[in-house]
Amino acid sequence: MNTKDKKIRLIQTAKEIQPFTNETFEEYQLKIPEMVNSLNQLMLNRDDILELAGSSKNIEMMKDNHSNHAYFIASILKNFDAEVLVDTILWVFRAYRSRQFHPNYWAAQLNTWRKVIKEHLSTENTQKIVPLYNWMQINIPAFTELSDEKILKNKSKHKIN
Amino acid sequence: MDNNDKEKFLEALLKGDRKGGSAIAKKYVESHSDIKNFYENIIKPSLYKVGEMWEYNIISVAAEHLATAVSESIMNELYEHVISENRSPYKIVLGCIEKEQHQVGVKMIADVFEMHGWDAFFLGANTPNADFIDYIREIEPDLIGLSLSIYSHMPSFEELIKNVRNEFPNKPIIVGGQAFTHGGEELIRAHYNIILLRNLSETEQYIKHFEDEHKR
Repeated sequence: MNTKDKKIRLIQTAKEIQPFTNETFEEYQLKIPEMVNSLNQLMLNRDDILELAGSSKNIEMMKDNHSNHAYFIASILKNFDAEVLVDTILWVFRAYRSRQFHPNYWAAQLNTWRKVIKEHLSTENTQKIVPLYNWMQINIPAFTELSDEKILKNKSKHKIN
Repeated sequence: MDNNDKEKFLEALLKGDRKGGSAIAKKYVESHSDIKNFYENIIKPSLYKVGEMWEYNIISVAAEHLATAVSESIMNELYEHVISENRSPYKIVLGCIEKEQHQVGVKMIADVFEMHGWDAFFLGANTPNADFIDYIREIEPDLIGLSLSIYSHMPSFEELIKNVRNEFPNKPIIVGGQAFTHGGEELIRAHYNIILLRNLSETEQYIKHFEDEHKR
């Protein structure tokens, strides 16, 4: 499968995720500050966090990513768009992989997000959001592969004298 | 000619060479007699390239901010070419919605309106929604313009649209920005009299259409 087809497949599978209700969006949006705080604490307490984030220089960027992730997911819960979802995730992978974030970072992050969402949101809304996190988790290898291809291609293209 | 100018302009941005960038801009505008082309064909692709270079960690966020700052300062230098002596009776209030920092695109749009003689009240980046509405109430513009680059800000954008519509049910709203590249059109269609404009050319066409419809 070529790059374009891989991306199309991601979009097609994303479209199978059921749309979300306004109620789910509102609870998620309301709880963003405390969820991001919990997530940061859990991730920073990991022994392997520097390995996952690539270096200590990336820790602030990682915390920004956690906040940006939450606001982005809220916007997807409100106005679901499969192409925006795929494009944005690929952009995140490219930006963070370019800065040496390990592919395992996303597995760790998304697992921790599941835990945090379960802790902070109602059971009903957690169950509605889980399929989205399942989809992101299952497709980490695809995101990594697609982003790494582009990173390698662009490293040689952009050279500053 | 455009490709060569683009490369040189990008190089000037990356080096923070405001003088060099300014010289390229002035020469281009003199030879093309059209600032809009400079905005659309030189500044816009250069800043997109800068964004891409940050994405791939070729440049730092500081370098990206420098490139943006140099671009804006050069746009300000060209202002004598922007303000039209032929004034029209129309006003627009436009800017980035709250938390939205990417203001160069909407600044270009503001300049296009000024080129057509409009009074363009450009609010810049990150205007809190409540203050945006207060200002619309104060200025009573004929048109409102909202810019959105980051899709995550869509909920805030929708909130602003609803609040504007509550108080100004019929006032036309033009919207644009990179957030609409792949989505957001359904949201726009759900509200009355909101027009998505994707580039400067569409903006000019809309201005002419608006003036024809609202002749004074």
